Amino acid sequence: MIAGRRGRSFLAAALALLLGACAAGTPPPSPAPTPPPAAAAPAAPAAPPPAASPTPAAPAPPSPRQQLAAGHVNRARQLEGSGDLRQALDEWKIALTIDPADRAAQAGRRQLEARMDRSISERLGQGRDAIGKGDHLEARRHFLAVLAMDPANQAAFSALQNDVKEIRFVPHTVKAGETLATIAERYYGDRVRSEVIWETNQLPPNPRLSAGMVLKIPEIPGVPFVLPELRPKPPEPVARPDAPAPDTTRPSEVVEINPLLVGARESLEKGEYQVALADVDRVLAGNTQNPDAAELKKVILYGLGKSQLGQRKYEESVRTLLQLTRLAPGYQDSPTLLKQARERAAQQHYAQGLQLYREEKLEDAITQWKAVLEYEPEHANAKKNIEQAERLLKSLQQRQQPKKP
Amino acid sequence: MVVLAKAGDTAASLSRRYLGDEAKAWLIEDYNGTATFTPGREVVIPKRPWNPSGVESRGYQLVPILCYHNLGPQTRGRLLLAASVFEEQMRYLKREGFHVITLRQFLDFVALRQQLPRKTVVLTFDDGWKSFKEYAYPILKELGYPATLFIYTDFIGARIALSWPELKDLAQEGFDIQAHSKSHDDMRRKTNESDEEYGRRMQAELVQPLAVFQQRVGQPAKILAYPYGSHNEEVVKRVREAGYIAALDVRRQGNPSFTPPLTIHRAQIYSEMSMEEFVRNLTVFNEEAIR
Repeated sequence: MIAGRRGRSFLAAALALLLGACAAGTPPPSPAPTPPPAAAAPAAPAAPPPAASPTPAAPAPPSPRQQLAAGHVNRARQLEGSGDLRQALDEWKIALTIDPADRAAQAGRRQLEARMDRSISERLGQGRDAIGKGDHLEARRHFLAVLAMDPANQAAFSALQNDVKEIRFVPHTVKAGETLATIAERYYGDRVRSEVIWETNQLPPNPRLSAGMVLKIPEIPGVPFVLPELRPKPPEPVARPDAPAPDTTRPSEVVEINPLLVGARESLEKGEYQVALADVDRVLAGNTQNPDAAELKKVILYGLGKSQLGQRKYEESVRTLLQLTRLAPGYQDSPTLLKQARERAAQQHYAQGLQLYREEKLEDAITQWKAVLEYEPEHANAKKNIEQAERLLKSLQQRQQPKKP
Repeated sequence: MVVLAKAGDTAASLSRRYLGDEAKAWLIEDYNGTATFTPGREVVIPKRPWNPSGVESRGYQLVPILCYHNLGPQTRGRLLLAASVFEEQMRYLKREGFHVITLRQFLDFVALRQQLPRKTVVLTFDDGWKSFKEYAYPILKELGYPATLFIYTDFIGARIALSWPELKDLAQEGFDIQAHSKSHDDMRRKTNESDEEYGRRMQAELVQPLAVFQQRVGQPAKILAYPYGSHNEEVVKRVREAGYIAALDVRRQGNPSFTPPLTIHRAQIYSEMSMEEFVRNLTVFNEEAIR
């Protein structure tokens, strides 16, 4: 099919190998396929003119094709010997792809396929037995072996996925001063794998480990797992004052936090209280019981109230601090702040009232002084001024009345 | 098929020639263990996938799924990754020849329906941060990388979150929009939570979002990311009953094909990770003598 591409200018021997059959199987083991015998692959450009098509001439010397196939036959036998059956089968298939007439390869393939069929059904049975006895690790071994022989085996796959529950782990007795991160470093050489230990042991967020506690240290696929007995004995601990302190700057485990709360905390740090408050209220709208959010809201309200006080937004400060008082009466020095905010709000309204009075805007002045009383119900001057302004207003109105038609 | 390589042949050129599609180059590369070939070298051209489960006698394939959160101009906190670092990580995947696939393709692998390239990774983004559009989208588009966004519905519409129309647009562009609960609360039963209370809560967290996604994104959600990654048998059962076909936690390990689909693992990428620490999360093979 492909032979025509570069006409006959390319290696004749190579063209002979462009066979249509499909080789299916797992990759050959490393090292990758042995290069074909030199005779089959002369150096490219200086190739001799193509020989006639690769009809095996006489029984005499093996053709390049047979030589190539023989290499794969040899490797197939080696792999069978080492128990790599699937790869061995591939080598038989490749040998037959190259030389379909190879009798040895035909027989080898037939025998191996029969051997694999037997082995697969045997290991499936052993796997099921092991599950029945509750020996999951043993079951896992058998089912994996089936897949290694037949990577599309539905029965083994489904058993591994659904029935094999346990993974291998070693127990670890916590010593004083250990954290999940140091334990993860010790077993996996990777501090963040502490998360896996955390999850396996169903620990609470940011757990405090106490000496003597026993943790399961699971095997993590793809992560070299160093069993304690295989590890080199650690050097005797010598008190060294210059020894580097354990890295405590990094958060150890856990994991994910509510993103809105993260956002709220960041906004809080930047003094963007309103933004923080909106975020935290959003969290609380979803879950009024969220304790982190409830606690954070107090901090935000306190910060907001205090900052409003500093910016002379006294009324807003009062409102905020009242909201805080409802959530947490007596929170920090919030009662003092609230008192200050009330006084200043009252003063502000009182001064505005005076200003308006001077401008002869009596009604507006009264409104301001009434606002004073909201903050300080016993404010004597405000009361007095209101009475005076109201009297004045009344007499003005009486004077104006006769003019009406 | 077995061929001898010509000068300059690569997995891509051979794939174009013999499989009619350069995108299948990984079949040649994975089978032969290399993507470049010296002239005269024997090359096996697998015409079809040969190992859907990825299990062989030396071990088995793992697919890492990475979990990102917020991105920004600068790193802040653990889960806000600097955009430049993210870009560096994506370019690393490209340079190292990783195949970034969709979560759906990965689920086909987990169902024994599809063999995957040996170096395969899945990208996911949790919560629905607005920053996805500004910082992740352009580089993902440039590199042609798909991704799944796990959205918790209470978050949507917040100042720092994507909006429903934005999510719909992303879905139409091929990004996968999936569920991450309603309130981002831990789904495990709380102490003293009665059956009825827990049932109501799970209804709100698991079932109601499904209708919301159908309505607002125009596609149903079928896959869940557990808030905080936390789950137990009871949660898994509820998730299955609610109709999810897959669910992902944040246990830091790669996934073999036979991973149970309701406890698929992901590795969270933290802002403080060095490149070397990032790469540790990209292991694609578990070496284990299988006998």
